[in-house]
Amino acid sequence: MAARIAGILLAGLMTGCAGVPSTPPGPPVREAAAPAPPVPPTSAPDKSEPKPAPPPATVPAAPKAPAAPAAVPRKPEVAARKPEAAPPVAAKPEGPPPLDLESLEQRLKETNAIGVLTKLSLKNQVDDLLEQFRDYYQGRLKTTLAELRRLYELLLMKTLSLLQDGDPTLAKAIHGSREAIWAILSDRDKFSKLP
Amino acid sequence: MKRNASRLLVIMMCAVIPVHAADDPKQRKDLAAVIALQGLPCGEVVRYEVKGDNDYLATCKDGNRYRVFVNAEGRVVVQKQ
Repeated sequence: MAARIAGILLAGLMTGCAGVPSTPPGPPVREAAAPAPPVPPTSAPDKSEPKPAPPPATVPAAPKAPAAPAAVPRKPEVAARKPEAAPPVAAKPEGPPPLDLESLEQRLKETNAIGVLTKLSLKNQVDDLLEQFRDYYQGRLKTTLAELRRLYELLLMKTLSLLQDGDPTLAKAIHGSREAIWAILSDRDKFSKLP
Repeated sequence: MKRNASRLLVIMMCAVIPVHAADDPKQRKDLAAVIALQGLPCGEVVRYEVKGDNDYLATCKDGNRYRVFVNAEGRVVVQKQ
């Protein structure tokens, strides 16, 4: 009888150990394990789906006979559900930032991170670059798109270096729109539609 | 005669007022940023003088002096002094 109980406990522990390595980082598991014991083993499979750590902790304290049969089928469930829970968390930062040129322009005008003269100077340089694009598309300027890209990146770097300390949110937004803005500048049709 | 002299004095004082040394850290930073945007050496603006509306004479840490002003076309111009 004692050997059977020990075997059941061992099996329970082993199933618990088998589940632990695939769980997320340690500290949350420890935190989750503490409040789990009062939860009855019958309700555990449903409630603790995303957190597989509690079952192993509850198994040793749980009633002997029903614990072993319940613990064995849990393994595949836990293993199968973990990948399902992970994608939504990883999917959040993926979304490409929508380009809103007007909003960016307005935010640049309103930011306190740079002074009035700096803003005016930046605007002068943006206008100069746009003029170069205009001349390039009209065949008046003999340059390459690669060279214009270099100038564009340089101006963007200047802008970001001016903003990153005083207005990191705006700097991030501009940096995030880098490719989207370039997609407009480097396309003759899209560029011609710019106001 | 005395009246004219005092009037002249007042006019001269008014003319002198705009040209004065100022020390607003924000303005110094703004001037330093403008100079840097033109690709000119400066590092840090240690002091500046206001010569008029949007017209400054900035002195850099490295000893360079620049006149920074907005011209009639609305462009920021940086001239080495």
